[in-house]
Amino acid sequence: MSLLVTGSAIVAQQGDPLLFDVDLTAVGIVVGKVLVIFAFLLVATMFMVWFERKLISDMQNRIGPNLAGPFGILQTLADGIKFFFKEDLIPDRAQRRVFILAPFLSFVPAFLLFVVIPFGGDFNDGNAGVVTIFGRETFLQVADPPIGVLFILAMSSLAVYGAMLAGWSSGSKYPLLGSVRQSAQMISYEAAMGLAIIAVVVKTGSLSTHDIVVTQAGEGLGGILPNWGVLLTLGVPFVIFVIAATAELNRPPFDLVEAEQELVGGFHTEYSSIRFALFFLAEFMNTVTMSAIFVTLFLGGPAGPVLFGPGWLWGIIWFALKVFVFLFMFVWFRATLPRLRYDQLMDLGWKVLIPLSLGWILLLVALDLAQDQNWNLFAVGIGAAVVFFCAAMLLRAAVRSGQATRHTLEVPD
Amino acid sequence: MPEAVLLGGEQTTTAVEWVVFIIAATTTLLGSFGVIMARNPVHAALSLVGSLFSVAVLFLNQGAEFLAAVQVIVYTGAIVILILFVLMLLGIDTEEDLEDEPLRGQMPVAVGIGVLLTASVFALTQLVGFDVVTGTPEVTAAIRDDMPNINQIGRLLFTDFVVATQLAGVMLTVAVVGAVVMARRPREYQPIPEPESMDAPLSLDPTDQGADNGAEVAD
Amino acid sequence: MTFAASMLASVDHPPIDWHALAPELIVLGVLAIIILVDAFGGEDRKWAISSITSIGLLVAIVPVVTMAVDGAVRSMFDAAYVVDNYALLFKALFLVAGYIVVLLSTNYIAEGDYWEGEYYQLLLASILGMMIMASARDLIGIFVALETISIPAYMLAAWRKRESRSDEAGLKYYLMGVFASGVLLYGMSLLYGLTGSTRLVDIAAAVSGEAPALVIVAIVFTIVGFGFKVSAVPFHTWAPDVYEGAPTPVTAFVAVASKAAGFVALITVVLVAFPTQPEIFEPLIWALAAATMTVGNVIALRQTNMVRLLAYSGVAQAGYMLAPLAIAGHSATSAELATSAIATYLVIYMAMNLGAFGIVIAMARKTGSAELSSYGGMLNYAPALTVAMTIFVFSLAGIPFLAGWYGKLAVVLALVQPGTWFGYSMAIIVGVNSVIALGYYAKIARIMWIDPAPDGDTTRVRVPVSVASALVITAVLTVAIGVYPPLVDQFTGAESFLTLGF
Repeated sequence: MSLLVTGSAIVAQQGDPLLFDVDLTAVGIVVGKVLVIFAFLLVATMFMVWFERKLISDMQNRIGPNLAGPFGILQTLADGIKFFFKEDLIPDRAQRRVFILAPFLSFVPAFLLFVVIPFGGDFNDGNAGVVTIFGRETFLQVADPPIGVLFILAMSSLAVYGAMLAGWSSGSKYPLLGSVRQSAQMISYEAAMGLAIIAVVVKTGSLSTHDIVVTQAGEGLGGILPNWGVLLTLGVPFVIFVIAATAELNRPPFDLVEAEQELVGGFHTEYSSIRFALFFLAEFMNTVTMSAIFVTLFLGGPAGPVLFGPGWLWGIIWFALKVFVFLFMFVWFRATLPRLRYDQLMDLGWKVLIPLSLGWILLLVALDLAQDQNWNLFAVGIGAAVVFFCAAMLLRAAVRSGQATRHTLEVPD
Repeated sequence: MPEAVLLGGEQTTTAVEWVVFIIAATTTLLGSFGVIMARNPVHAALSLVGSLFSVAVLFLNQGAEFLAAVQVIVYTGAIVILILFVLMLLGIDTEEDLEDEPLRGQMPVAVGIGVLLTASVFALTQLVGFDVVTGTPEVTAAIRDDMPNINQIGRLLFTDFVVATQLAGVMLTVAVVGAVVMARRPREYQPIPEPESMDAPLSLDPTDQGADNGAEVAD
Repeated sequence: MTFAASMLASVDHPPIDWHALAPELIVLGVLAIIILVDAFGGEDRKWAISSITSIGLLVAIVPVVTMAVDGAVRSMFDAAYVVDNYALLFKALFLVAGYIVVLLSTNYIAEGDYWEGEYYQLLLASILGMMIMASARDLIGIFVALETISIPAYMLAAWRKRESRSDEAGLKYYLMGVFASGVLLYGMSLLYGLTGSTRLVDIAAAVSGEAPALVIVAIVFTIVGFGFKVSAVPFHTWAPDVYEGAPTPVTAFVAVASKAAGFVALITVVLVAFPTQPEIFEPLIWALAAATMTVGNVIALRQTNMVRLLAYSGVAQAGYMLAPLAIAGHSATSAELATSAIATYLVIYMAMNLGAFGIVIAMARKTGSAELSSYGGMLNYAPALTVAMTIFVFSLAGIPFLAGWYGKLAVVLALVQPGTWFGYSMAIIVGVNSVIALGYYAKIARIMWIDPAPDGDTTRVRVPVSVASALVITAVLTVAIGVYPPLVDQFTGAESFLTLGF
């Protein structure tokens, strides 16, 4: 267990992983999986860029990109090539080294996040997603550390640095304002996001993403419904996660970071050429990754029925389809929802989402406990609802009283 | 109950662990030097990120995944971000801000003390011949093999260390309360006098000036 | 079975003795109540907070008393949390000290337009930390308790937000305290790394015999860490500035309760974890104690500000209290004697020092100053306060038949018990220092009794009821213990006072 990568991903690994005694097949499999992930992410990101433009065009009764390739599918590639040949500008007042570093800081976590996502494998009949490659049993997932979920949180907290430093190092006002907004927003919503994830962890009993998917692959309620996280946690954490993740991604309606009317382009105003392309890519890659996290936590990951052919392939197909649903959702949000105001954004995060998700975790645990102790579920539900209501009223009263005190005490004159 | 002897003796470190240790330890040290040597506060904070991240890798190397994750989430993900926030919002993010040395000559003194401390610990452990090192696998290894260390930490926190855990909760709550008070403006808010060119000439009533702020004499 | 149930099923629940935790739980409950009162009560009910706090502190003493009557040693979590006579005495001490500080604060905080609700919340949290510190017998518990004591204290020191001196006090206290915590934590981590356990009894078992060099480093760092808390020289530099800048009730709290908590931790760690290593800690503490009392007293001689003077006097008193630890490793008897001597001294120090700060608070209401000269002519316009202050300073000086005298006697008796030159020399240093100290304590008395009032202002001092009652309590305690020492002796001299592990 010395390294994340050589961790439990390789199930049948034997012997001490001494440096000169490394099992080359195992290393080869890991490297292969990394390459597959890399390629998949890049392609998915390019697809996402095209998909977003095309879908929004449809929703707005426009045509959208339609010249480069069939249905304009090569538009992203064309844009990428254009970016390459543009002039690379670094402002005079920029902090050169940090300015150059920043795009990579936002790009790398987006990649690393995907490392713990199970993207394929057959989870039917207690198969637990094990596939055999070159005689080795392994999962279709680069690494399965026992702290997979915490790894997700850690990487998404690292993602803040890119935007923050980009804004600061530009040596210009608007980027700085944008990056301060962004980091405040991301830190605020990380808490709600973490609490929503904890609800899933409580129900599935593991922090390992693989174990979470295995639990969700089991029989659900009445043998008809799937045992997915969204149903296990009774829906609310899923909604919280949708909101928090959208804010975390700085996508509409939470894209105050790059509110053109106020901030020009936000933290990347001063960036051009390939450096801007990196930010652009990172943003869309984060969208793809976040959708994958959604699928893993709430929609059973690659688990799904096998219709014909090899099981592992169906895992990948189900995974891709589920991810696609969320990609569509994000685009839909962008096309329909108006942008929030900054104080509304903060109020929503701190005063609604965090208390709600905290309360929901308590509710889930209470119901769990009631089930085991054979208490009356109905009574526990009513009791929990009463507690919920009282707590909500208390919170309201506290906020009110706080506002009243602030107005009487701190307004000058 | 652990055996009542000083721990030490043979370690079983694999070559991979050695390589990871050397790399991570080097970056930890480089990051730490960066923190104190950087001329720009933001660069110093970034070096701190590097240092803390490398420590997380060291934790991972010791099999403490949970600590590693928490190290990244709490330190690099929250604390340094807040440091950067304050640096940026207060605008003390330029190189000139570090040129003003409030304590003259503290650098050389600090270097001297640091070297002395390192040398004494080194001398005590190596030269005197007592070859006990901390961080041996017997100490840092998980207490039980049959469950992930995050479960073990959770159990310990809510059984043997439950008092300390709850007390830490009280401490953090109260710290938030205190921090809010520290951050708020004093209640008797005194607006900064407007510049004279604003409109009406300022009435400089001497009795208004320096309103009584010695709370001790409040009657 | 659901996940929650499977987790619960396989966990060994350590038995919890709720009676042993009752005092802490009551304080915690009061803390919660005053947070709610503060949040929902509005401005016109702020006065209730100090009343609730003081009543709650008194209520919390009830289970302490019932446990003391019961007399059983309660040990939880494998001897990581022990409630014995030693712990009970200090819990009672912290609660009483907290109560007196609340009495001293009530008017000061309400009139000074401070953040009333938050003030008492921080104070209570700090007291809660102290109470747990008295029982904690493992490194994690001790460290968390120490931080719970310190963090509110840092912020309370900066409570006079409009005063730059108060800001300075808070910042200085914070930086020094954090540095000390770092040193302490490094020592603790070394101890854990060497022994594989955080429980003091396990550490004691592991470090017996000839100690490797790293144990020396660990012990030294741990003691140095606590040295900051008890303001031992050369780690005392924060004390005068903090005492002067902080609001005076907070100063009283830091000077008495916080210091006592530091001593509790120091005694527990040294005597429970390192009893087998006297040749390491004894010389170190000898040097610390000698330096502390001498430096404190000599600098105190030159002070012109009452609070700074009391600060340096507090440093010197810390030296007296450290002294018995220097011989505590000699034998089990000397360890017991030393513990009782320090406990006795701490109880007495609580009474007389809180009293002295009470006078400072009362006088500042009239003079608005803590300069020594402003105490001139006190006899004429505040005779009762003058008499009380005289009692307190002479008790601090160790004049016979006031409590401080008995405290010094207990220290010296403990020092000479082993019959080594080590103890004798320390006893002599204590004696010499007491004579030096008389110099500045007598100066205070002279100014109050003989000097004229600085500007002829002899209007009476209006002392609020709460401050007056605090002064009465402390003065009565100071005199009563001095006249009849068994009053404190029967608590601190009990057989097997400090439970040395299981």
